[in-house]
Amino acid sequence: MEHTREILTFQFGTYANYVGAHFWNQQEANFRYGDESDQVAEEQLPHNDILYREGLNDYNRTTYTPRLLSVDLAGTLAHLPVAGELYGNFVQRDEELLPLGTGEKLQKARQLAEESGVSASEQLDVVEQPQAAISEYQRDLLKNAVVPEKNYQLAETVSSWADFLYARYHPRTLNILPGLVRDPAVQCLGTYSAGTELWQGAAFNDDFCDRIRLYVEECDGLQGFHMLHDIDDGFAGLAGKCLEHLNDEYGRASFVVPLHYPRITSYAQADSRLSHGIRVVNSVLSYHHLSEQATMFTPLSTLETIWRNNDLKSRRFEGLHWQADNLYQTSALLAAFLDTATLGYRLRGTPQSLRLFCGAVSPAGRKMTAAGMALPFGLREGQDLIEFLDQSGGQALLTQLTPGCEPGASYVVQSVTARGIPAERLKRPRELAGDQLRMAAYGCDSVSQMLQLYYQCSYHGSVTNAAATPLPLKTQLPFPYEVFGAAFSGSGLRLPGEAEREAGTRVDCAPVLAALQNSTHLGEHLDNLHAQTHRVQLAKLQAYSNSGLERDEYETALDQLLEFRDLYADSQFL
Amino acid sequence: MASISLLNPKAEFARAAQALAINISAAKGLQDVMRTNLGPKGTVKMLVSGAGDIKITKDGNVLLHEMQIQHPTASMIARASTAQDDSTGDGTTTTVMLIGELLKQADIYLSEGLHPRIMTEGFEKARDKALEVLEKVKVPVEISKKSLVEIANTSLKTKVHPGLADLLTEVCVDAVLTIASSDKNKPVDLHMVELMEMQHKTDTDTQLVRGLVMDHGARHPDMPKRLENAYILTANVSLEYEKAEVNSGFFYKTAEEREAFVRAERDFIDQRVKKVIELKRSVCDGTDKTFVLINQKGIDPISLDALAKEGILALRRAKRRNMERLALACGGTAMNSFDDLQEEHLGYAGVVYEHVLGENKYTFVEDCKNPLSVTILIKGPNKHTITQIKDAIRDGLRAINNTIADKALVPGAGAFEVRAYNELVAFKETIKGKSRLAVQAFADALLVIPKTLAVNSGYDAQDTIVKLTVEDRLNPDLVGLDIATGEPMKPVDLGVYDNYIVKKQILNSCSIIASNLLLVDEVMRAGMTSLKG
Repeated sequence: MEHTREILTFQFGTYANYVGAHFWNQQEANFRYGDESDQVAEEQLPHNDILYREGLNDYNRTTYTPRLLSVDLAGTLAHLPVAGELYGNFVQRDEELLPLGTGEKLQKARQLAEESGVSASEQLDVVEQPQAAISEYQRDLLKNAVVPEKNYQLAETVSSWADFLYARYHPRTLNILPGLVRDPAVQCLGTYSAGTELWQGAAFNDDFCDRIRLYVEECDGLQGFHMLHDIDDGFAGLAGKCLEHLNDEYGRASFVVPLHYPRITSYAQADSRLSHGIRVVNSVLSYHHLSEQATMFTPLSTLETIWRNNDLKSRRFEGLHWQADNLYQTSALLAAFLDTATLGYRLRGTPQSLRLFCGAVSPAGRKMTAAGMALPFGLREGQDLIEFLDQSGGQALLTQLTPGCEPGASYVVQSVTARGIPAERLKRPRELAGDQLRMAAYGCDSVSQMLQLYYQCSYHGSVTNAAATPLPLKTQLPFPYEVFGAAFSGSGLRLPGEAEREAGTRVDCAPVLAALQNSTHLGEHLDNLHAQTHRVQLAKLQAYSNSGLERDEYETALDQLLEFRDLYADSQFL
Repeated sequence: MASISLLNPKAEFARAAQALAINISAAKGLQDVMRTNLGPKGTVKMLVSGAGDIKITKDGNVLLHEMQIQHPTASMIARASTAQDDSTGDGTTTTVMLIGELLKQADIYLSEGLHPRIMTEGFEKARDKALEVLEKVKVPVEISKKSLVEIANTSLKTKVHPGLADLLTEVCVDAVLTIASSDKNKPVDLHMVELMEMQHKTDTDTQLVRGLVMDHGARHPDMPKRLENAYILTANVSLEYEKAEVNSGFFYKTAEEREAFVRAERDFIDQRVKKVIELKRSVCDGTDKTFVLINQKGIDPISLDALAKEGILALRRAKRRNMERLALACGGTAMNSFDDLQEEHLGYAGVVYEHVLGENKYTFVEDCKNPLSVTILIKGPNKHTITQIKDAIRDGLRAINNTIADKALVPGAGAFEVRAYNELVAFKETIKGKSRLAVQAFADALLVIPKTLAVNSGYDAQDTIVKLTVEDRLNPDLVGLDIATGEPMKPVDLGVYDNYIVKKQILNSCSIIASNLLLVDEVMRAGMTSLKG
């Protein structure tokens, strides 16, 4: 008897919600509604029930929403009611949108409330706050009138993840931290300890744990948790505590993704030097906690290095251009990675599970892994995979997405997932094969097999798990399609020579290769962090002394992090 | 020039009179916001956020927070009001009103040159006197249904419509009396009253369930929807098979070997299920009894299937706190292992049934023999109404519990404040020096409560105060304001009471906060962020 192996997802923090929004948009862009004449075989599609749940709203309509819990500061939701838009319980303040959704008219809501006797004097005093602005894209989306060709200029106009969210959430999903309002200048939930303190407060804890329980109760075969969280601020502490709770209560696998902001975070009452200190201490505490609690964790950022990074040097993808500190664009890249890398255990009929997957790339307690991605996978128009791999020579295919990490090309344990490479582009049929016949890889019958062979040959002493699906990454709205340069065709393939894509057309989808890698080189990432801690004087970090971090606690975390680093020493492996 | 500006030229500061003015204006502003909320005729506010979220409340805290008042003084007062709520569950609006009024009255004398220090000393004396008066006027009560109903009703009538208040009063008092131990004079553990909400489009009703309502149901289509005469087994034992735990880090030589391992592991869980089934058979076979399993851990589909075949209703992932409540409501013990299951471990309920509402399922466990834990079920057409009712119930329960703890009540409707005013005015004469002015200010400030009550009910403030103070002086009994007629009345006769602890707390915290604010003579703002600017 086979049942769905559900995964529950968590998003802690603003940037995590940005990445999450893109992630869910991507899921829904890949939904198949059965009426499309698609060549993609059933078992190569993702099994959406793993991440999604079916429900029924109060208007007797079926809903299909992410199995997700998200936490953010007040003020990040913009036009989005906390209860989501599918189940009512809010006032639709925009006259134009009133007939469309489940929102009520203010007068009617007031009347209903008065009738139910919740007011002692039969009268309710209505206090209205100014209406939140709705982005143009959201307005069109609500009216069901999105023009795919229209330029919404999302990169410039998005001020919060709610502005480009295509997916719709369940009322249980969104949680707003009591009393913390988003401030564009400083991060008001600054420190790891402030986050842990918040978790312990009854105001947040009771309700949130209950929501987790309700989600888990619905699951027949929960396999584990995905957790995205900001690591530069207090949300790391919140996530850490939550993970502890999950382990105590449910004991399932957890894949945690700490996200570094692509810009310098500033904190209340701290100049740039102190801010740097707070950031480092946050990272130390969070890494330490994750090394104990998570099944696997992969720090992600589009930046090349973090911590001491004043010039914000960004990673480069050939042919892609984006603003290094734009949350909307950078989060899309990270979400593309996350979606692709996790496809391996989300396909229909795959025997893989989250725990097996994590176990395979994090051997011998090396729980921290590095991320690499090729976007788009550099296949040329008319080129076959076999040729491409042959010609790539020793060049690395992947760009790293874990800051300060270069896993190298030998003794790597990795799990790669390729998407969007159709089977017919694998190799040419025998009668037309020509040169290809002579290549060793010609014997391979699938994309995953060929990648496996490729890595076997080019990476010394390495273990590779490869998976593939012909489903490409969808890069239409609300994905920042503008990041693609003119050298790619509409389907994300590199155009031959100097040719350029016709002006005015966009890249609709793209093949992607994503990998989770582990090697001894990852120890350097931890070394970098450790080197930074020498310059941090904990006593001077007022934010930390306010939130009650003990010096001993910090030293212990540092020591244990060093022990964790030792797992990455050469002698420890293979 | 303030000394801070020598060190930090960019620091902002305000001194002496100016600093005081800042504090007083903040307190007054806050008072104005809250003024209309006081008393049974006070208005309830419906807050609509920018995105359309609705919140209905009269709770001072919520209001302060939602209106995003970010004044340091205001937030200090708000915190006092939070503390008031935490410790007693009532009197938040009164706290804000009284602090504001104390500052306002003090301001009159301070502007004429009285030193704040003298003011605060006088406040202290006045407070002690007021507490003395409170001690004198408190009415000792027998813990009976009547007295509890009166106190709960006074508290609830300030929060919801009178009709609804009567209903909620009944529910709250019954809830507390049901779970109170034989010693009725001990406060009960309010955690043992579960509040469960149910959103239903056409149904507004609040009822007491003498048992438990859980927010989840059976996850198997063949399980019974309704059972009578049921044994309840509560457990914290996993009945799900977690494949991965064996597979990871284990390598199999052959597929058969793997199969064998999987089977052995599965068997382990099956054994547990079998033990439950055996127990069910031994206690139920041949009788009309039925069997319910409520588990805090998970139950996987295969186990559910086996249980369903036996006609057992099984619930998984019960709330941790419900395990404790179940044991109290139904009897029996929560089991951590199935190794030694006996009949005595089982609880009993007359009826267990499931109720489905949209995507939500509810399971009712009712007709328990001697329930020491009960549930208040709140039905409402939408989330915000339910929340408001829930808050009201919580306050009602607190009021009842306070009464049991104090074994005393204070006559309400502003009666205590009027009496304290008269006593303080008399007391003033015995005090030498300028601090008698402070006593007068304190006395005047207390009157803000009956004044606001009158104004909110549509009567003239001065008229009312004159009537009340005169009546009080002539009368040995306490006299309060009848909000229905605007005339003086005896709260004891009408059954309008407040909690003793609430009044006591208010007097204490308000005078302290007001004194602290009065003594502030310099307000400065400097820090890293303003350094940057």
